[in-house]
Amino acid sequence: MVERVSAVLALLAAASAFAVWWQRREGRVTRVVDPPGAVSSAHLGSPRGFRATFVQFSTSTCAKCPPTAVLLSRVAAAEKGVAHVEIDAEARLDLVREFDILRTPTTLILNHEGVVVARISGAPSEAHAREALEAAPTPSTDYSI
Amino acid sequence: MTSTSASAKDIQIDPRGYRIGAGITTVLAIVGLLLGAGTAGTITFAVLAAMFTPGATVGPQATLQSFLFKRFIRPRIGAPRETESFRPPRFAQLIGLICALLATAFGLAGASVGFYIFAAFLLGASFLNSVFGFCLGCEIYLLLVRMRAPRAA
Repeated sequence: MVERVSAVLALLAAASAFAVWWQRREGRVTRVVDPPGAVSSAHLGSPRGFRATFVQFSTSTCAKCPPTAVLLSRVAAAEKGVAHVEIDAEARLDLVREFDILRTPTTLILNHEGVVVARISGAPSEAHAREALEAAPTPSTDYSI
Repeated sequence: MTSTSASAKDIQIDPRGYRIGAGITTVLAIVGLLLGAGTAGTITFAVLAAMFTPGATVGPQATLQSFLFKRFIRPRIGAPRETESFRPPRFAQLIGLICALLATAFGLAGASVGFYIFAAFLLGASFLNSVFGFCLGCEIYLLLVRMRAPRAA
């Protein structure tokens, strides 16, 4: 019995450590240094933003996806030229494989050219969303000649 | 601007309800593990399988756990601030059901290693769900879909 009690306690402790580690990574923004190429609005199935686009991958079994969509569309609406596109990952396995999406929500940030410049793994906070947008600055319209 | 493609008949549930429900299954899984791979432990996991069945088929709103929440806890804590779709927890209940059935089957077969593996997995998942709000459907559903669907040539 002592062995079983210790085994259960060890399991609960390990699960707790895992959860704390996991929650710290939730919403983390990674800059993409070697992007695979530009994504067109047609390929996406929705118009891209003039400056940037949040491409959020969701599924119907993802509890964190609807609140993430609310947050990202709010951040997108507050910034000029930023669009939010929510992709049903099950219906677009081509995009899922192309961008190696493993969990939901995962959000790609496209810059003005449609190039993936950052990705957010898991549900972001508003600060995460803004940090990710910094990877896609407003395109310059100042021509020197 | 947001464009969405996923929409079908949805039922919104109180997320506190299934977290409490996961707490109940966590306690039962601990009891089952402490009883061990004998008759009593196997019966505990058979009971858990029966408790997960309505949740995995209809949805978490149909379970005994949910009934207990609605009857005894919800009236004391009032309406939820936000609701959630029933689909993510229904998927989690299905994973719970599969683990409970496998633990029961291994228990009946006298294969204690298999019993402990699936019992421990069930306990871990229920515990993470109830205490930390860990969403199994967010993390593994897409991986399962990717494995099931053959890669386009």
